[in-house]
Amino acid sequence: MATQQDEGGVPFSIAHDLQQFRLLELPAGILELIDAPNPPALSIKSQAASRASGTPNPKAAYAVLCTPNKTFQLRQVQTSNSVFVTQPRLEGHGNEIPVPTTCAVASCTATLELHPTVESSAPYLKEALPIYDIIDGMVDVAGNGKSKTRILSDVPLSNGECEVGWKELIAFEFAGSSYRPSANTLAQVWKSINAAALAGGTKLDSQFLTEEILKAMDEEGYPSELITAIFRRLAADEQDTNGPWSCLDRTKTVHFVGITLLEAREGEANYLTAEFLNAWKDCVPESWRTDAELSTIKDAYVLPSTMTIAVKGVSASSAKTEDSTPKVGSSSRKWHERFGRARQR
Amino acid sequence: MPTIPLHISKTLHSTTENPLPPLLLTPSGLAILELQGTIHFPTPSSATTTSPSSDFTSNSSSTQVGKLVFPLYNPKLSDPADTKWMKRVYFYVGKHQRLNGEVKKLGKPFAIIRKRERREDVEMGGMEAVEGEGGLEVQEELEIVEVVRYKIVFSTRPEPVGGEEA
Repeated sequence: MATQQDEGGVPFSIAHDLQQFRLLELPAGILELIDAPNPPALSIKSQAASRASGTPNPKAAYAVLCTPNKTFQLRQVQTSNSVFVTQPRLEGHGNEIPVPTTCAVASCTATLELHPTVESSAPYLKEALPIYDIIDGMVDVAGNGKSKTRILSDVPLSNGECEVGWKELIAFEFAGSSYRPSANTLAQVWKSINAAALAGGTKLDSQFLTEEILKAMDEEGYPSELITAIFRRLAADEQDTNGPWSCLDRTKTVHFVGITLLEAREGEANYLTAEFLNAWKDCVPESWRTDAELSTIKDAYVLPSTMTIAVKGVSASSAKTEDSTPKVGSSSRKWHERFGRARQR
Repeated sequence: MPTIPLHISKTLHSTTENPLPPLLLTPSGLAILELQGTIHFPTPSSATTTSPSSDFTSNSSSTQVGKLVFPLYNPKLSDPADTKWMKRVYFYVGKHQRLNGEVKKLGKPFAIIRKRERREDVEMGGMEAVEGEGGLEVQEELEIVEVVRYKIVFSTRPEPVGGEEA
């Protein structure tokens, strides 16, 4: 026995200066990415400490690993075992001839696990972006001085998921800041787009030059970034939204206009259903009028009485004409509830 | 610093001869060994340690604590499909203790991550100091240096063995 272990064994040593290594457990999806010939960029993100809320952020230590379009929550798992990372070395101890040795170069007391999370980036972006609201032609909002890149880097979700939320909110960069428009603003800008398309004979559901509509709307003074963000949001699925051309999806657009008009009037007790339907039909191209029916936006509205209509629930996306402070408050309250649920689990 | 890039740079290549069975070999030579408990070894003194100058990758000293033995592993039988040898690994610690373990395929492989070595530290730091907006810290970067798919695990307590004659 003794001789066998002498001859057949691999010497094992422990380095005195241990290195700092971390072990990250790789689920199949991530492993495939890493093994791919051209692995995509991965990053570890954490949410920026929220300065708006005075309470300490319970998710301060919360970090995620992001692939281009997926997010995984990082969880540290302590282990009671000793886990060594070893490296081959040529070592001679005492006066012996150096022999290949397995040397422990790092000791890990915890490993990191990845748990896929599916979450919308919209609530994070809503909190981060000031509301761009046009009232009587005036915009009273202080820019945040943050670029889109800067905003997205603070959202603990993958870039792909951030882009989806960004597009959904019709967020835009303008004059060095990033904003999201209020429903009221969207309604105004959309009416103007529709008018410009009508005047110029542009068919919105076939390819048109974005620039033409922008020129036609030039005098109205809306940020062109906002107009193109609307086109991008309403683009037909196969449309390349980065080129000079735009093409809107009829179904998406009619739905969007209906919801936007409703949200713009949110808080008004007596918005007559008939009045809404007329406004809606007037806000879409002539040939689309027949689509502007309540069935198109089913599940999104309520009828408080037989005569009136209102948007369903207190939709957080409906940015009313109030200043943004109470909004921030309400969204951070939800934020808090979410923490609570996560912690109870 | 909300976003830390995690690079995949499996560029670490070991030139040192690796004494472990091929299944456990990785390009970087890094492997994982897990055991229950802790290895205690005497405080390093010059008598027990050597700084091997022959290998440039290891610039620190170490203490030899034992030997790994793969009793069922036969390097002459180079059939990769034969995995029976994985079932038994001995780890002799000191002269009187033996751990009984095995080689396990990890259900989820581990990525070994470390902070990225930054060769142009000064230059980079300077750049960021200029570009950084109010109080942006110097960016930390991580890299995956290896993906390990097997580990040697000793999950039982050590058993006593007879001392060596030497």
